[in-house]
Amino acid sequence: MSFLFPAMESSPLALPLTQIDARAKLAGLMVYLIAVATTPARGSGKAFVGYALVLFVPLAASRLPVAMILLRAAAVIPFCASFALLTWWSAGAALALVIIEKSFLSALAAVMVMAGTPLPEMARALRWFKMPAMLVLVLQFLYRYLWVTAGQARRMQMAARSRAGLGWRSGFRSAAGSLGVLFARSSERAEGIHHAMLSRGFTGTFPALVPSRFTTKDAAFLAVLLALILAAALAARF
Amino acid sequence: MAFKGSPNARHFTNVNTRTKDHESQNTSLRPGIIMYRRPPCAILRGYGAILALYLLMHIPDGVLSTPVWAALDAAAVGVVAFSTRRAERDFGSANHARIPLLGMMGAFVFAAQMINFPLGAGTSGHLVGGALLMVVLGPWAASVVMTAILILQALILQDGGILALGANICNMAMLGVLAAYVPYRVLGRGRTRGPGLFLAGFCSVAVSAAAAMTELSLSHFHFSRSLWITSAILFGITGAIEGAITVAAVSAIERVNPALAPDNASPKPRFAGFVLLGLALVLAIVLAIGVAVASSAPDALQAALAGRMALSPTVSSGEAPIGRRVVAGMGGMLLVFASSVIAGRLWTRRRPV
Repeated sequence: MSFLFPAMESSPLALPLTQIDARAKLAGLMVYLIAVATTPARGSGKAFVGYALVLFVPLAASRLPVAMILLRAAAVIPFCASFALLTWWSAGAALALVIIEKSFLSALAAVMVMAGTPLPEMARALRWFKMPAMLVLVLQFLYRYLWVTAGQARRMQMAARSRAGLGWRSGFRSAAGSLGVLFARSSERAEGIHHAMLSRGFTGTFPALVPSRFTTKDAAFLAVLLALILAAALAARF
Repeated sequence: MAFKGSPNARHFTNVNTRTKDHESQNTSLRPGIIMYRRPPCAILRGYGAILALYLLMHIPDGVLSTPVWAALDAAAVGVVAFSTRRAERDFGSANHARIPLLGMMGAFVFAAQMINFPLGAGTSGHLVGGALLMVVLGPWAASVVMTAILILQALILQDGGILALGANICNMAMLGVLAAYVPYRVLGRGRTRGPGLFLAGFCSVAVSAAAAMTELSLSHFHFSRSLWITSAILFGITGAIEGAITVAAVSAIERVNPALAPDNASPKPRFAGFVLLGLALVLAIVLAIGVAVASSAPDALQAALAGRMALSPTVSSGEAPIGRRVVAGMGGMLLVFASSVIAGRLWTRRRPV
């Protein structure tokens, strides 16, 4: 669904969420996702209401546009709908609904965490959770170059269109040619950016603008979140 | 040339409104916004063409059953740790001089997915990129870059779930790259380079899709044999598209940047590693086929059709000739595709972009 919706990025509107340490948010997200994914299908209605409330409290507390966030998370529904349809036909509507609820709530949680966390901070949290240093570095460079390269692709697309070219009419070869040109230009830009970074003292790690500290506030956030998730999970079982 | 009423007229008006934000990179060069501005008709056409594959390649959360995603997450942790260590050997962790190249390739594949390759009859496909990365960077680094792409897609675009990330990494970053590596290593030099590249693209997509299908059928989805054969044909078509795009893209890139073309003097890979990779590939394919044959129960669609619409008993009992069922399945896929094209047309007529 990346074709239909803009990329999810951190926003100052997610204010209470942005101030919490990325590690606390990441840990909370993982626990939440696992709790949602392992909810048994039978008697899951109560649990899903609980899980939804866990997300709606911070969503209401922040100034994030609720409709837009919900729509953004609903982008996964076309994906899981076909699986849900298969389940509906074989095992009934209730189970199909469970699949859609699980997908939607998981996506909503991810959207909210990403709305409140800049990607560099998220990368640092991933590194803290022992993701290999090289992978984190590649991730950060990929993110750094992404907007530049995508902008290049967009400009080329636009230029070709204004020449009434690229699209469904032009040939396979011209598309391949523009891919080659995109490669050359983006590697040139990437090299330039890397040199600029080196000349500003880049030493192989992306420096943190704000030092991350795991304070009592973060611990309290995590504790409250875990308690809420536990309550919702228990509601499903009993 | 009459621009009014032609499809390109819209693009001209768009160009006028958009030229302003070319320069300022910080605010306007967000890929999401670019994708957002694509005409919906094009989106739906492209979406119809790649729907089935895309569904399988970016598995969302909540679809796989717990043992499946947990096992694949565990496997992915091990595989990623291993491939990162091997990639560090090639690309160096000490001075980081070549790590930006990996980031650049990842961003390039991300952006290259926006360029549509016309396939005729109003359809288009785009690069998936596993084979291309493998050709340019080698298998281990390609696996790392593909993993980074999948993580970023899951985080900022919600393409694929976060718990399902292990499954998606195993399918595309591990099996997909591995499947591209074997034919490319055997055929990728000299006169057989073209077929080698084609097979690399073909295998990478076909194996990824087969692995995703296997994971889904290990979860609570039961696919009948006819649905499997239908999907296999579809995967074959998509794989052929990816193969053709890979050949075109690699030759275009090498024309622009001749330094990336392989020198035929480089040594052959060590025998043991090669055999190991081949074995892993065969294992993956056998697993896929095994699951396919094992689940010979009538699938959900047929059961539903039999139960609710009272179709002929031959279909419901699963005794119809397999050929006819495959044709029916392909017809269904065509129907989905046609309806998405028509919906796209109607959408653009009602809401000109």
